[in-house]
Amino acid sequence: MDRRTFLKSAAGAGTLAATGGIAMPALSQGAAAKTLRFVPQANLANFDPIWGTQYVVRNAAALVWDTLYGIDEKFQPQRQMVESEEVSSDGLTWTFKLRPGLKFHDGEPVLAKDVVQSLIRWSARDPMGLMIRGIQNEIVAVDDRTWKWSLKQPYPKMLLALAKNNAPCSFIMPERIAKTDPFTQITEYIGSGPMKFARSEWVPGAKAVFEKFADYVPRSEPASWLAGGKKMLVDRIEWVIMPDPATAAAALQNGEVDWWETPLADLVPVLKKHKDINVDIGDPLGNIGAFRMNHLFPPFNNLKVRQAVMTALNQEDYMRSIVGDDDKLWKPLPGFFTPGTPGYTEAGGEMMKMKNVAAAKKLLAESGYKGEPVVCVVAQDMSATKSMGDVTAELLKSIGMNVDFVATDWGTVGARRAQKTPPGQGGWSMFHTWHAGADCINPASYTAIRANGDKAWFGWPDVPSVETGVTDWFSAKDEAQEKSAIDAINKAAVENVVYVPTGFYLGYQAWRKNVSGVVSGPLPFSWGVSKA
Amino acid sequence: MLAFVIRRIITTIPVMAFVALFVFSLLYIAPGDPAAVIAGDQASPADVERIRASLGLDRAYLVRFGEWLFRVLQGDLGTSIFTSLPVTQLIGQRIEPTLSLMVLTLIFAIVIAVPMGVIAAWKAGTWIDKFAMAFAVLGFSVPVFVVGYLLAYTFALKLDWLPVQGYTPLSQGFWPWLRNLILPAVTLGFVYIALIARITRATMLEVLQQDYIRTARSKGLGQRSILFLHALKNAAVPVITIIGIGIALLIGGAVVTESVFAIPGLGRLTVDAILRRDYPVIQGVVLMFSFVYVLVNLLIDLAYTLVDPRIRY
Repeated sequence: MDRRTFLKSAAGAGTLAATGGIAMPALSQGAAAKTLRFVPQANLANFDPIWGTQYVVRNAAALVWDTLYGIDEKFQPQRQMVESEEVSSDGLTWTFKLRPGLKFHDGEPVLAKDVVQSLIRWSARDPMGLMIRGIQNEIVAVDDRTWKWSLKQPYPKMLLALAKNNAPCSFIMPERIAKTDPFTQITEYIGSGPMKFARSEWVPGAKAVFEKFADYVPRSEPASWLAGGKKMLVDRIEWVIMPDPATAAAALQNGEVDWWETPLADLVPVLKKHKDINVDIGDPLGNIGAFRMNHLFPPFNNLKVRQAVMTALNQEDYMRSIVGDDDKLWKPLPGFFTPGTPGYTEAGGEMMKMKNVAAAKKLLAESGYKGEPVVCVVAQDMSATKSMGDVTAELLKSIGMNVDFVATDWGTVGARRAQKTPPGQGGWSMFHTWHAGADCINPASYTAIRANGDKAWFGWPDVPSVETGVTDWFSAKDEAQEKSAIDAINKAAVENVVYVPTGFYLGYQAWRKNVSGVVSGPLPFSWGVSKA
Repeated sequence: MLAFVIRRIITTIPVMAFVALFVFSLLYIAPGDPAAVIAGDQASPADVERIRASLGLDRAYLVRFGEWLFRVLQGDLGTSIFTSLPVTQLIGQRIEPTLSLMVLTLIFAIVIAVPMGVIAAWKAGTWIDKFAMAFAVLGFSVPVFVVGYLLAYTFALKLDWLPVQGYTPLSQGFWPWLRNLILPAVTLGFVYIALIARITRATMLEVLQQDYIRTARSKGLGQRSILFLHALKNAAVPVITIIGIGIALLIGGAVVTESVFAIPGLGRLTVDAILRRDYPVIQGVVLMFSFVYVLVNLLIDLAYTLVDPRIRY
């Protein structure tokens, strides 16, 4: 081939390509309509929802594993795999029965022994599960569809524990898989949920694929979050991992992906202007921004110092640093519980509304603060923690505190915050984080509000009045008692500054207009979602 | 020659051993805890401790290093802490995209940069030379991610000629494979073109002053023949050297390029592993890259003999 012939061929090939002459195979085009391409919030690095409790794992697991109960959009537990339940008059014995016809992805029927073993594994890791374990007599399969859970004392929140969407959820696995130690990762991903996990196509950090499970029998009720009929309207869901938000935005605009779970606030205006893209609030339960102080060491082992910081704080500074100018995305939070939920309260929240630097300085002077450095550990690789850390550093300086700002990454924060050594010896004084609003609805899954000293979350607050409130909530017999307990917890948490909420903020989700059925919820629900 | 190759391969062993020890030690003293990442935010300190123990991260440094080294010597790079998949499998899944990107970038860069450098030297001082060198300065100055975004915006979003992201394996067809790689390869090749073009120009300028070039001209040889057959061959040794050194540049650049274009390659595997403190994966990938780098240097040494018969080993 001479030069001219080659150039002619190359130009011809180029023209063919540019005009669409080299078409994608017909099979690919047909398959594309049944395939939903979804960009999740993070990489699916592991796939054991009991071993690893990251939200992204929980979200993927909800496709593959079903739950006995599901929480609906009114925060009520509804039957899912369960057909019926019965509790004895003394509240000590729960008897459950499975729906008929449930199958695992390997074709085996779901039996009570699978449920029992799954609950044993789950209850070793979940805070509510651990409470049940603590008062458990035994859990046994009675027959193929029935099992009993007998307790030493009543546990009124049983159905909530089995329905809650907070990680780890009580997903049901085959007995042989559920026998895996809860601190060891499972290696088989067989569930009875509406989608099967295509393990051979899993490339951690890049792609995860789910295929429709033909034998799944959805409930007849309409879908409502994790409850109701989980009807899959696509055959295949591809999770495409995109670490770069700008790339994800471009891919959505170009039609290369269909649905993006967590668009960056800065990129949302561009997406809103696009004619083929819908943008709406993703999770209505949002997030609570937070920083935690170390209650074990100076200066934050001194209540007045903690109160001084809370008194000076202006949540608007924090929220604008995270969401920018979009007022729809944030609101002040003079309390600890998620706005818009039954537990929301502002009881005792006056201190959080003060924004008074002069009063804070006065409190700091009264505290006897001697200029001890505040080791403020801030993860720079998370935009929310970085933004909040910068605001906090300025805040502390404004009231006369000595800040030792440690800029690092989240992996380091995760390890350092567990250190109980003094701040100058590898420990810390404060770190920033956020809590999913879904975790802060009530004390059941609200680890961050617990104040039981050594057993509490990082910072180790020791406030007996908070713990009394938590106990009261668990034993509450009606909504009024629950509300009263939550008010008491909130008041005690503010007074003692268990931690500092920096505000409530929301995030958007975005999807192509040829996709319908996307709803707002605490996780991206793929059932009911179709693609034209 | 054979003795030289064997000698060089043997010398890679202490290099690799040093790399292994260095990487393992660095990760051991680096802050961070994979157990805390696995356990999640709701986990209690006791849970984190138990996971750490189950992963064997609570054992002594020497014990862990010894076990790891023993496995590596048997060709087993271990298992990812997070995915529970063998590190060799994870690397295997990611080799093709990265190798494709690097090879395409190399071809693209050499095809453009070498003629550019030769012509710039030939036309030294003219606007062609100035234009080529201005391009080189631009290539060095503009960060890879900026080039990537600009190209993606223009050729994917605005013109809709190429995809924004992703990778299609070669087994699914040459055009789908190439289509996904054009923008990343051009992006990554930008800085590489600048580097090779500058070195080629500088070396060619030196060679073009030599007596034998004057002789060739006086014999009436054509300009193209003088430049590409006589001068370039003698200028090739430094150019080959810089191409070899540039492999390291490519490895670093691939990390950014793979992130910008969402290519599931080794660069992203490395970054993800570092952020999560997935020690076996980090160790495996770094060990593999160091081996590749040593191998590339060996191939470059051998390539010298092809372009310069005076070099003998």
